[in-house]
Amino acid sequence: MTRTGPAPALAAAIACAALFVAWEIGARLARIDGLPPASQALAQVPAILGDPEALLNIGASLRRMVVGFALGVAVAVPVGLTMGRSRHVAAFFNPLLMVIYPVPKAALMPVIMLWLGVGDASKTLVIFLGVTLPVIYHSYQGSRAVEQKMLWSAAAMGMTAPARLVRIVLPAALPDILAGCRVGLVLALITMVTSEMIARQTGVGNILFNSLDMAQYDTVYATIIIIGALGFALDAAFEWLRGRLVAWAEPAHPILAGTT
Amino acid sequence: MKALTAPLAAALIGSVPILLIIALWQVIAMSGIAPPSLLPAPGTVFTRLLQQFGSLAYLDHAATTLGRLFAGFAIAVVVGVTLGVAMTGSRWVGAAITPLVRVLAPVPKIALYPAFILTLGFEDASKIALVVADAVFPILLATSQGTAAVEPKLAWSALAAGASRLRCLLTVILPAALPSILTGCRIALVISCIVVFLAEMITSTDGLGHLLVRAARNFQSVDMFVPLITISLLGLLLNAGFNAVRRRLLAGFPEAD
Repeated sequence: MTRTGPAPALAAAIACAALFVAWEIGARLARIDGLPPASQALAQVPAILGDPEALLNIGASLRRMVVGFALGVAVAVPVGLTMGRSRHVAAFFNPLLMVIYPVPKAALMPVIMLWLGVGDASKTLVIFLGVTLPVIYHSYQGSRAVEQKMLWSAAAMGMTAPARLVRIVLPAALPDILAGCRVGLVLALITMVTSEMIARQTGVGNILFNSLDMAQYDTVYATIIIIGALGFALDAAFEWLRGRLVAWAEPAHPILAGTT
Repeated sequence: MKALTAPLAAALIGSVPILLIIALWQVIAMSGIAPPSLLPAPGTVFTRLLQQFGSLAYLDHAATTLGRLFAGFAIAVVVGVTLGVAMTGSRWVGAAITPLVRVLAPVPKIALYPAFILTLGFEDASKIALVVADAVFPILLATSQGTAAVEPKLAWSALAAGASRLRCLLTVILPAALPSILTGCRIALVISCIVVFLAEMITSTDGLGHLLVRAARNFQSVDMFVPLITISLLGLLLNAGFNAVRRRLLAGFPEAD
């Protein structure tokens, strides 16, 4: 009911405009070197998007992100669904996940770089690790909540256990799985940027810190705007897709919360 | 009897993958596939961890990290709860803040870190600001959802009985929304833990994240694992501590578990 019609989109556009106006006024009042007015930063955005090298960098970042995300979802969904259906599997994985949860995945970058080098493999692996946990958690919650009677009926009709998992648990848990994927998608973007900030070779995170080192503050802020827009656009696109896939389910949370 | 042994059995099953990983680690390290400079033996790492826990310099770095973490988390709780209550309390504030949150929540906050460095400097302030930026959203959303779900009749009764609006907020609405607020705070606490470490890795001269980067630059692989294990332990401890506080605060709530 909150998402019908153009009202939320309009409100979001107004909110964006208000942010930029506040930034412009604040920067003009504060007159700090490190905070150029919004208009100057926005003027740099086309320059970055028109630079083939920068585009190549952004493209490479996005490719790693998509590969890491896809691998993460492919591994996490079966694990999460099985955990939800079997108490023993859940008991097996839960403590391990609790230990891994507070470790910043991008912080593993230096260690993984020792093993796999500085190339795509390390960065993709880190993104994969970042995506897996929230998707497992949400799939687990979704699969745990599946009505037991449906599974009994299916078993009584002769459906095997793997078939039950695919044909009953998977669709029933789909809203939760997609909620997890939404968190995972934004996490993939965050891990991507962070890993590039830590291993400064290529990518968006590298543009950000190179321009910071060279004191090109307009470019720094323009890159921040691009990354922010990317996050918002990915989230909005995923929400649209989710609305299509599980139109029958209540939207759990209209706004994304809790990602790092 | 069965109820007593079930958690024990679960704990035993749960320790299997962790022990398996450590065993596999030990086997790889002993077999010589990976040289110790790439993968030090688990024994070496854990000895070093214990040794570091006795070192004042190491504890000082850990204390710096914790200080930034709690400063950022505390600010995020105050700001998040206040804004969350205001969003449900007033339609106008809600209409103004909701689109802002919708736009800002999916933005990777770590990308704002260079902006914080430029405006707040390389010291504590920029790192705390980053923690606040990341931790405030889960708290804000949990508070606004929690307060919106409070039975309106409770508030009406309190107001009809002569309580002022502020008193009604403090004694009726906030306690009723507490379970939801605390859930948001718990997510935010782990997020703070992760973010402060990352910020210290990117630019810092102290803290656990800095120790990891310094070890990586000097190829001291043992010292790279020690801060990682420490942050995992800190996360577990903070989570356990938070759960204890939560159980005390929520004593008597039906949904407390």
